[in-house]
Amino acid sequence: MTTQQLRPIVSVFPIKGKVKTIKQVPLPSVFSAPIRPDVVRFVHTNMAKNNRQAHAVSTTAGEQTSATSWGTGRAVARIPRVKGSGTGRSGQAAFGNMCRGGRMYAPKKVWRKWHRKINTNQKRYAVCSAIAATAVTPLVMSRGHRVNKLPELPLVVSDQLQSLTKTRQAVKFLKFIGAYRDVEKVIRTKKTRVGQGKYRNRRHVLRKGPMVVYARNLGIKKAFRNIPGVETASVYTLNLLKLAPGSQMGRFIIWTESAFKLLEDIYGSWEKPSKFKSGFYLPRPVMVNTDVERIIKSDQVQTVLRNRRPRSRKYGKKIQRADPYEDMSVMVKLNPYYKTKLQNQKELEEKNKKERKEIVDKSRKEYEDWLYFSEEEEEEEVEGSDEDREIEVLSDEN
Amino acid sequence: MSKQVPETIKKQVKRSFNSKEVKKEKNEKRMKLLKEIQSKAFKRAEKYEKEYLEQDQKLVELKQKALKEGSFYREPEPKLAFIIRIRGIVGVPPKPRKILQLLRLRRIYSGVFIRLNKSSLRMLHFIDPYVTWGYPDVETVRALIYKRGHARVNHQRKIIDSNEMIYDKLQKYDIVCMEDLVHEIYTVGKNFKHANSFLWAFKLKPPVGGFSTVKKSFVNKGEHGNREQYINTLVKKMI
Repeated sequence: MTTQQLRPIVSVFPIKGKVKTIKQVPLPSVFSAPIRPDVVRFVHTNMAKNNRQAHAVSTTAGEQTSATSWGTGRAVARIPRVKGSGTGRSGQAAFGNMCRGGRMYAPKKVWRKWHRKINTNQKRYAVCSAIAATAVTPLVMSRGHRVNKLPELPLVVSDQLQSLTKTRQAVKFLKFIGAYRDVEKVIRTKKTRVGQGKYRNRRHVLRKGPMVVYARNLGIKKAFRNIPGVETASVYTLNLLKLAPGSQMGRFIIWTESAFKLLEDIYGSWEKPSKFKSGFYLPRPVMVNTDVERIIKSDQVQTVLRNRRPRSRKYGKKIQRADPYEDMSVMVKLNPYYKTKLQNQKELEEKNKKERKEIVDKSRKEYEDWLYFSEEEEEEEVEGSDEDREIEVLSDEN
Repeated sequence: MSKQVPETIKKQVKRSFNSKEVKKEKNEKRMKLLKEIQSKAFKRAEKYEKEYLEQDQKLVELKQKALKEGSFYREPEPKLAFIIRIRGIVGVPPKPRKILQLLRLRRIYSGVFIRLNKSSLRMLHFIDPYVTWGYPDVETVRALIYKRGHARVNHQRKIIDSNEMIYDKLQKYDIVCMEDLVHEIYTVGKNFKHANSFLWAFKLKPPVGGFSTVKKSFVNKGEHGNREQYINTLVKKMI
């Protein structure tokens, strides 16, 4: 992974004096492990079951009677009833889970499976995720820790912290570094437990404060022991239940310098395996670059995409259109020759009309002429005799 | 206060296929194309008018010639038929049902054009009782396509709104306008298949004045079967 080659630098702070960088160390690879809340939740829910103590209901509870059912015909329910007489108990229902003084449904047994096995690699994956989350300020803040006044997150502090012996010194250190606000929160919100745990030796409920992780215990454990909310842990044995309490990632951790450096050896990297966990490499993320939006908008992707298909507005809506035989504009749009055609037809009609008119006029005139002339002829011919004509005709035939 | 536009957005706008310049260019191209189409449409319509006129005149000439010579002129057999389904979908036996489906006559009063050849005549023989068909003339073809012509576009039935629609689909068959389409259908040209499949089956109205009896064939004073040129009058009543 390229992230490993350029590892960011983290400042180391002193435990007193002035809050300024006294040294700089590279960020161990664990902090770039994939942050997987789903893995952490799964491992946490199962791991949390492992400190349970068996409990059960007495095996004889509710069974210590010799009750028998009265059977049918007695106008009572058929549940087994306590034998005998002379006491209020006689004739009462017994044995059933619905009965007063009866045995419960499915009495709890001690051989219930109380503990859960979790694959070692899953456990390690969860721890890596949880450690990585402790460096992510928004996650730490969302868990509820007061980390506004811290100089840096992850908070690494000089190894002198491991040699503290007095609680007073520890508190002074926390105030100096700006972590005491988180402790104050814990003190302020200490409450009596809600529920029956309060009279089962679990009277008070405390928030979780900062966790101090050390490499060597030279008194640090005892120094921080009595401060409410603060927990200490050796870097070799980091517990998921403490790193992600309630399976919520982002515990506020104060690292000592040597503990911080040891993380690289304990959890390894993607190239080098862990020195303490045999064969263990840091988990690989499924996606190297999770900024999907940026990938899509990048030049490399955008230049290779095909054109966006245009919203074909042409054929999108239902097109309404008038009847072309009624609406001329629609007709002309479909057939631009139509107007010309009509004109031509009109002209042709007129031409034909004209011609016809001429012919008709001509023939009418001829007829009138004939009529006129025939009238004149008739007057002349009246003078001649019909007989003459007939004879003429006969002579022609001959 | 100057607005800082993120670079990704600037790049996006530049790359955008919907930007103003791109739109303008596209629009100009389209307008140019439309003009071309309309001018082609005009010229071709003119050409076809002449063609139809010539055809009619030729027919008359040949008939007259034959009469003069004392022989007969046998007119060419019709190439085009228009079929209208006149019976509903209830109780149709499987073979006619399948043929009606193949011909896209899936509902009553739907009509399609079909080219006449031995195969299609055989098909028509099977579906005679369910359809009436005949030989449409130019005006009938024109009226159908103009008034009731819908195109099959993207598996959808869209009314033929403009010549652009025809150009988009049938340009490769040299059919760019309505008159081209009419001509291709009426004269059963080389690309009749494509022109015909471009058209959705015609949805006609029940005839004004009604049918006499669909159960009898046209020849027997009914309505179904071949009614040759009388299809034209029927279509006028149903369009």
